[in-house]
Amino acid sequence: MNKEIVQELLDKYGDRATDSMFERSLYARDLAPVPSLLVNPLFNTLPDIIVRPANTEEIAEIMRTAYANNIPVTPRAGGSTVYFDSVPIKSGILMDLNLIKGVVGLDQDGMSVTVNAGTTWSELDEYLNNKGLAPKSFPSSAPAATIGGWFCMMGYGIGSMKYGSLLSQVKSIEVVFPDGKVQKLTRETKPALDWFVASEGTLGVITELEIEVRKLNNMKHFLLQLPDAVRMLDTMKAIISAPIVPYNMHFSDQECLKAMHALGFAPANIETGCIIGIDYEGSDEELKQAQEVIDSLTAANRIVNPVPEETAELEWEERFKALKLKRGGPSVLGAEVWLPIENLPAYLNDVQRMSRGYSLNLFSYGHVVTPEYATVMTTFYADETHTIKYIINLSMVKKIHDIGHKYGGHPYGVGLWNSPMVGRIHKPPQLTELRKRKQNIDSKGIMNPGKVYRSPLMLNPFNYSMGMNVLAGVRKVFGKGW
Amino acid sequence: MSKESEKAYSTLEKESLICGRCGYCRSACPVYRVVGWESAAPRGKISMAREIFSKQNPNKVSDDFVKRLSQCTLCGACANECSTDIDTRKLWLDLRRRIADLGKEPKAYGAIRDNLLANKNITTFDNDDRLEWAQDLDEPEQLEPRVGADVAYFVGCVSAFFPQAAQIPLAIAEILTESEVDFTTMGGEEWCCGFPLISTGFVENSEEFIKHNVEKIKELDIHTLIASCASCYHVWKHDSEDALEGYDLKVMHTTEYLSELIKQGKIELNELDEIVTFHDPCDLGRNGGIYDAPREIINSIPGVQFVELAHNKAASLCCGGGGNLQSVDPETAAKITQLRVEEIKATGATIVVSACQQCEQMLIAAIQKAKLPVRVLDISQLILEAL
Repeated sequence: MNKEIVQELLDKYGDRATDSMFERSLYARDLAPVPSLLVNPLFNTLPDIIVRPANTEEIAEIMRTAYANNIPVTPRAGGSTVYFDSVPIKSGILMDLNLIKGVVGLDQDGMSVTVNAGTTWSELDEYLNNKGLAPKSFPSSAPAATIGGWFCMMGYGIGSMKYGSLLSQVKSIEVVFPDGKVQKLTRETKPALDWFVASEGTLGVITELEIEVRKLNNMKHFLLQLPDAVRMLDTMKAIISAPIVPYNMHFSDQECLKAMHALGFAPANIETGCIIGIDYEGSDEELKQAQEVIDSLTAANRIVNPVPEETAELEWEERFKALKLKRGGPSVLGAEVWLPIENLPAYLNDVQRMSRGYSLNLFSYGHVVTPEYATVMTTFYADETHTIKYIINLSMVKKIHDIGHKYGGHPYGVGLWNSPMVGRIHKPPQLTELRKRKQNIDSKGIMNPGKVYRSPLMLNPFNYSMGMNVLAGVRKVFGKGW
Repeated sequence: MSKESEKAYSTLEKESLICGRCGYCRSACPVYRVVGWESAAPRGKISMAREIFSKQNPNKVSDDFVKRLSQCTLCGACANECSTDIDTRKLWLDLRRRIADLGKEPKAYGAIRDNLLANKNITTFDNDDRLEWAQDLDEPEQLEPRVGADVAYFVGCVSAFFPQAAQIPLAIAEILTESEVDFTTMGGEEWCCGFPLISTGFVENSEEFIKHNVEKIKELDIHTLIASCASCYHVWKHDSEDALEGYDLKVMHTTEYLSELIKQGKIELNELDEIVTFHDPCDLGRNGGIYDAPREIINSIPGVQFVELAHNKAASLCCGGGGNLQSVDPETAAKITQLRVEEIKATGATIVVSACQQCEQMLIAAIQKAKLPVRVLDISQLILEAL
């Protein structure tokens, strides 16, 4: 990046801009500890400058500078994903959006809130709760994930089961386009706001969103132990088809329970079978119905073992802490798969077969986010301090995705690392349409380049697949106990 | 994931690797809130610790890193949020110790240590003058160290030497006298509790101070010790276990002790027509687990309308004065205090009460600057007003 432009931005934004190497190095990564040995030869993840704009006007001004000079811009807020979604791969400007924070307005009659994109879901929840309201849904990383950030991903999580995807709840968004133009988008505008969902910061910078809210209701929590994945699916289907819709449903497989048990935090000290957590919210009448659904399910079926209510409540309290499993690490590798729940038992069965084949200990947990689909996280322990072994272990991530693909699933989120599998995520006509949108809005390709639409050259599907398969072969022969 | 979170700490090397970089800590960190850079967030600091210590590159300790480590109030809000249950407060203390071991601590830390070793208190005053504040009592000599008293009051450096804080030990002495408690102090034999040494990384030096104080308590045959400073209390309660091994000493914060006296009917409180809010000191609340005692005291005063701050108890916001932040970066400390003052303002309280001299000093300065019509009182002063 041109040094004069860097200096211009430093002068303009003062202590809200920096080109210090010390600071920039922290923005060259996200949650995923991918070794420099792998990243540095392929990508320029170190931004040239980080700027923290305080309002839409400043964002537009930065975009105009970037647009005029063909400088890549990577928007970032919570930085809480693992696919390098908010990590630059062509240096340029890293736009830290954490000052774009706070509630702009609440429409209690219309049951919607307008909120700045850099507000975290927990901050919004706290604001709304004080007024007897709540977000309809939120991610399982709500304390760090931002409103805009989750919209830029697929937006399925806690509450989606009852209230649908975040997209279905968003009434309008304000966007700064790559050329600096600012526009409010709705479902009727051109482009429509739908274009920006799951766009991962590749089309522009979302600054403000108007989203629907719900009344803050009482909740009821249940936790059921099932002997195996097949019975777990049967139970899930029975709950889904009941007249009362759960707010949230999550599950852990047998191996995940064992991992939790080994670390001392398995619910009710359970070590065998699978568990499903079901959370309902609503009126007293609705909660009564929910109780009846669960009661009839457990009464009719002896293999459905209800866990004490206080344990189920504690499970809800800990809903943002799935990462606690990392205490068994030190590192964790894995894949998050968008999977038809119908195929969950077969998927989990193949995962266990893979565990045995590669001498791994794979464990899975996830959320059922629609009546048909779940987001399934399948993970295993690794050690990033042993770089070569760790890189070879990365091939197991691809193998997990292969199982997901076999059963009608695909990666949840693209970013950089899942870009070789973008053909699995979107059908060809969809991908063509997405690429057309990108070309229309960002013809210069300055917004978060290298993500979402196609993989960078070195990560093209052929290279990626061949490379990972070779590493997986090495892992199979030499990797016992890694 | 159902077991209620218990914080864990193995080694700096392991915990830095376990950190998932989720960023929950970042949202809660008062320093990040006012500095705004990733390097000021707990996860940023742990990321760097991982590169330096877990991957064994001690030569990577830079001045920038040391500066960021010193920009921490040790408030424990990050530990409260940590998704991997890391006891981050322990981690920060461990990191500061490692930095001190490498001789790369901030200059201000070295000055704190040298002064403490020379004077045994955080000021340059003679340690024998620790009871100077008591000259305002009717019978100051009653506070001279006495063997076999029921209770020893550990006054703490700030209360003993800072004139603006002297009203706190005076209030406590008066309340204890009024309640006919058989109490004493350690006089000039009280040394700094050691917290400033622990928090700057000079743990070995702190052990000398802890050992001295424990020996003197044993010599006085004291079996109940009360402290009005939240940090002194924390050291006695949580960092002196080894030195106290085999000796029966009940350690209480004054809020706990005074609350008991009220329940026993030994303190009778009159009506106060005030709106009162309470600022939880980090070392008393989040890091010490004491939330109820101060609230019980406030609510036992007739006429008082108690209002909670927006962030209270485990979610309380730090005052900015912890972790020696003031000694290295008073500007950042003051900005953090300002966040808390905004919350105080929103309550409409006429009095903000706390139970830590450092918190009170920070709040007084910020409230005066903001010209708010709010008085800052230690909980003992509030009781005294109601006597």
